Amino acid sequence: MENVATHEDWKVCFSELAPGLVLFARQWVRSTPDAEDVVQEAFVRFWRRNLSIKNRALLYAAVRSAALDLIRRDNRRARREVEVFGEAERTVQPQFEQLDDSQRQLVAALDHLPRDQREVLVMKIWNELTFAEIAEALGISQNTAASRYRYGLAALKKTYQPQ
Amino acid sequence: MNDFSELERELKKLRPVQPSAELTSRVGSALANSGEGAGKVIRPEQFRINWLGLGLGLAAAATFLIFARVDFHPNDKTKPTIASATPSLQQKAAALPNYQATGLTQVVYSKRDEGLVFPAGAERPSRRVRTAKRETLQWRDRQSGAQLAVSYPTEEVTLIPVSGQ
Repeated sequence: MENVATHEDWKVCFSELAPGLVLFARQWVRSTPDAEDVVQEAFVRFWRRNLSIKNRALLYAAVRSAALDLIRRDNRRARREVEVFGEAERTVQPQFEQLDDSQRQLVAALDHLPRDQREVLVMKIWNELTFAEIAEALGISQNTAASRYRYGLAALKKTYQPQ
Repeated sequence: MNDFSELERELKKLRPVQPSAELTSRVGSALANSGEGAGKVIRPEQFRINWLGLGLGLAAAATFLIFARVDFHPNDKTKPTIASATPSLQQKAAALPNYQATGLTQVVYSKRDEGLVFPAGAERPSRRVRTAKRETLQWRDRQSGAQLAVSYPTEEVTLIPVSGQ
């Protein structure tokens, strides 16, 4: 059984996935344009390879791989950014729409999570991947993915008190 | 997990911003420029075996293994290879032909699975594993019993092709 993907197919897939993919890519790069470049590169690469869009783990692995490649290629700029922004581990806060004060506090708490916990949260909450898919994309076990998710939520709960 | 249900609800209320409209058109252009992107066929099975690539990969791996083989018997072939990284020791060992290789120790102190990567030109994704080791080679002088050891760090990156679900 083969499904012919039309021009509209990739648009439908992309429009559904793009916000989450860009948010996912933002964890490694500092600007939205960079994140969009990463998503474009990964999605085009993924689509050209005839991989099934149902295999989301591979798509997210492709985004992660493209983001890390970008960092390596642009090492000098990354070093400059580290100097400017101080901490290498910290990234710019993920961008969300229409935040109230409480949500801004939540986003700030999210941004302070360790990267390995934050990436699992982003994949789970805003991209709705299963732990199995997260594990495959990150090259970790499902238990590790679930643990990082729990630890991330626990850390958020400590710092964030809903009003 | 119930402890976190309220927090999860709060997180899900946050909506990621929409990417720029330009991004969709850029992706469309990139797919169109490939000349085949828009008309691609999505196959149920994710991977096809590239037999040529697989054969070349195996041949490369076999070649690597042949060259990486460590021979503990002292002969003219091994000594220059090992000592080439440590010229001063090479001179010393060469001046003392009675030295006999006695051991090789490899201590793996870090092994990290870096997840799936998509090597350029490859049809399938691979899992990248980075291994950091310290290798120590030892020689012993047959006559005096003096020992010589060379220790150096090495890093090995292995790409393991993954199969589809």
